[in-house]
Amino acid sequence: MPLLAARHLTKRFPGVVALDTVNFELQAGEIHALCGENGAGKSTLIKLLSGIHPRGSYEGDLLVDDHPVRFSSIRDAETAGIAVITQEFALIDELSVAENIFLGRPPRRSWRVDWLEMHRRAAALLLDFGLAVAPEAPVRTLGIGQKQLIEIVRAMDKRTRVLVLDEPTAALTGAEVAVLLDHLRRLRAQGTACIYISHKLDEVFALADRITVLRDGQSVVTLARSETTIPSVIKHMVGREITDLYPRRAGRLEALPDCAENLLEVRHLTVAPSRGEAPFLHDISFAIRPGEVLGFGGLMGAGRTELMMHVFGAWGHRIGGEVTLRGQPYINPTPGNSIARGLVLATEDRRRYGLVLEQSVGFNLSLSSLRAVTRVPARIDQAGEYVRNQQFFESLRIKAPGQFTRTAGLSGGNQQKVVLGKALMTAPAVVMLDEPTRGIDVGAKLEVYELVNRLTSEGRAVILVSSELPELIGMSDRIIMLAAGRIGGEFSRRDFHPEKLLAAAMGRSAA
Amino acid sequence: MKSRQLLQNLAMPLALLAICLFFATRESAFLGPRNLTQLLVEFSITGTLALGMFMILLTGQIDLSVGSGVGLIGGIAAVLIFHHGWSPPAAMLVAFVAAIGLWSAMGALIVRERIPSFIITLGGLLIFKGLFWLVIQNSTVPVSRGDEDNLYSLLTTYYLSKYVGLALGAGVLLLLALLTWSTRQTRQAHGLPVPSASQAIFVWLGATVAVLTLVLVCNQFRGVPLTLLILASTAGAVYFLTRHTPFGRYLYAIGGNEEAAVLSGIAVKRVLIGAYALMGVAVALTGFMTTAYSGASTTTVGDLMELDAIAACVIGGTALRGGRGSVVGVIFGALIMTSLLNGMTLLAVSPEAKFIARGVVLTLAVWMDVKLGRR
Repeated sequence: MPLLAARHLTKRFPGVVALDTVNFELQAGEIHALCGENGAGKSTLIKLLSGIHPRGSYEGDLLVDDHPVRFSSIRDAETAGIAVITQEFALIDELSVAENIFLGRPPRRSWRVDWLEMHRRAAALLLDFGLAVAPEAPVRTLGIGQKQLIEIVRAMDKRTRVLVLDEPTAALTGAEVAVLLDHLRRLRAQGTACIYISHKLDEVFALADRITVLRDGQSVVTLARSETTIPSVIKHMVGREITDLYPRRAGRLEALPDCAENLLEVRHLTVAPSRGEAPFLHDISFAIRPGEVLGFGGLMGAGRTELMMHVFGAWGHRIGGEVTLRGQPYINPTPGNSIARGLVLATEDRRRYGLVLEQSVGFNLSLSSLRAVTRVPARIDQAGEYVRNQQFFESLRIKAPGQFTRTAGLSGGNQQKVVLGKALMTAPAVVMLDEPTRGIDVGAKLEVYELVNRLTSEGRAVILVSSELPELIGMSDRIIMLAAGRIGGEFSRRDFHPEKLLAAAMGRSAA
Repeated sequence: MKSRQLLQNLAMPLALLAICLFFATRESAFLGPRNLTQLLVEFSITGTLALGMFMILLTGQIDLSVGSGVGLIGGIAAVLIFHHGWSPPAAMLVAFVAAIGLWSAMGALIVRERIPSFIITLGGLLIFKGLFWLVIQNSTVPVSRGDEDNLYSLLTTYYLSKYVGLALGAGVLLLLALLTWSTRQTRQAHGLPVPSASQAIFVWLGATVAVLTLVLVCNQFRGVPLTLLILASTAGAVYFLTRHTPFGRYLYAIGGNEEAAVLSGIAVKRVLIGAYALMGVAVALTGFMTTAYSGASTTTVGDLMELDAIAACVIGGTALRGGRGSVVGVIFGALIMTSLLNGMTLLAVSPEAKFIARGVVLTLAVWMDVKLGRR
């Protein structure tokens, strides 16, 4: 009898089926790994299991001990013994370790908090986990690995039977990972079941009893660890046909002479989030020529967005390395300078970084290129601006009543087109597109791809950052995979094998 | 949708009308030429400061220091004239430059050191108040020596002669008609949407009635006050800045989504410092007018004016979190705020009750802002 089972789970978001009749079983006392590419449905599945997506928002059944359960909140799931530990810590930095462990349910003596009892019990729990941390210590003084363990301690004190860990080792050092894995093995021996999500297949194979692979929202296969291998799991993760969905016009690059000047060249770039911190991007070099599409892939947190933002001048503190833009050394980048020199970035999170949603479509379109329609001394030629906006409004086929429509009311795909339009109106030589097709429908995606083709045929260079391997493979002339802030591998078109690319993204030279 | 929008557009004129009717029924002198002229001077003072505040609020920042600043800048000029015998233009120029310097410095502190504007300008409120009292030595410093008139004192006591007032009014209306017509032509030529001809004429007729009534009422007393011209030029300048220049677009963009503004290549820090420098200009103008209006620099000049300015903006539909608002709204807001204060003074409402009424109006305005912001 499985401890926890999911039967035919289907979860729809507007325009997307995130989970498609997924089946999953968890036995008591097993560690069960969930594997899959970004967007395969892992996070959605655990959000269902943990009550974040409440009952009624999905189809199918959840069973605990063979009894159907219907969670309407995280609290319900916790009552049933399921605790989720996510990538973002649910700890309050300014409170002590003990206060965090007993957050929301402190031991009481009548109406007062029983501090003595709280610290006594916290100390006992910490001792049990072999954690050398004082219960009174503020959580902010702990390292990331210790914080992770505090969360697990908290979960265990709540009589948790199913521990769900979402990328628990993403930010841990090697030693911390070893400690964490030891604890998980010990908890398994005590009968706690664990759902373990990780991109790091080495860890998965060192720990899990069984592995379930998700792909495109479907549960593809469940394998016993002892009967499978890493390459075979990767194959299941990727295994799909790449079709004509990606209309990259090949042959363009071959027409280019080898000596064509690089539009953008990055050499040995090492960057920290801010001054005085440890580097996040290490020794990154690449170059891109006119008419080329350079794809950037990698797992979440590999540093793709950060790399683009840094080159654009909006992120990080450069420790070493240099950038050459259109033959000129480019020092001290800022977004304004980048745009003036012909380098533009269309951001990944359009609602947060891309658009002024309250304002009109036209306002957003021309925001980066107002200089082109400003007459001496400082007057915007509003008619000229309108005409110029209208060209892009029409050529991008933005579906809106007009330029004066509020941007907030547009669909995701049309908002994306506004972001792209704003970038293209600066007449760039190098266009960096960060996840340009995230969250938009197939038709709009196709239009974005056509746009990429048009840009390169005009001799511009496009850097395409994408989490979707098929998109990268379909649209790029060359692909660089980033792995943990480093270049994991560079591939030219004839080497575009999904397995190889994914292996490079996981920091494994060959699969 | 359409009727709701109409209601929103008419809300302010209707509120203003209601306030005026209320005071007029209680005290007929409220609508008399003398009181209306006085009201216009007070309106010019509050309005000028509110226009400066408007640009700050558009970016999502705030400035609490302007009340003390108004006193300080007016005080500096007064002391230079009365105690040191400077010529009024020189004294005012020095005070003016000081205001721009101080506000640029505050702006630079806010953007470069990333200290919230609320804190910096709260510090400014106290520091400027202290400096102000230091400068005037806690005494009363007249704006001119003896009883003679000078540029400073004339700011609020000079009135245009009847015919100049009329001619100016006519000129403004003619200019408005010309501008409306020519923008209409260019917009139509490029296929931009334009309001219907009857609508444009209606708006112009409305403006004509308003301007002519204003001039005629003022002419019944002493004529159009100079301060009204200062407000009108400030309003024109701020309107042009916010509607027709990249700087103005950037103010709206920063208030709407600062991160997006940064990534769109806008020099956000420079724009913010610019907004504070312009606030300095507004503070200097208001400082001169307020001090001249009270005849001398005394310790209470400028008290709580920052709150009136903020209230005027918010009543006029400026969002406190930035990105939304218009010059016309701010003008109406200032008019509403001034009418309330003036009417209460006329009815000899006790200072206690006036404080409470101001607080209630400010709270209501912010409450409305929150409500609207959630839509």
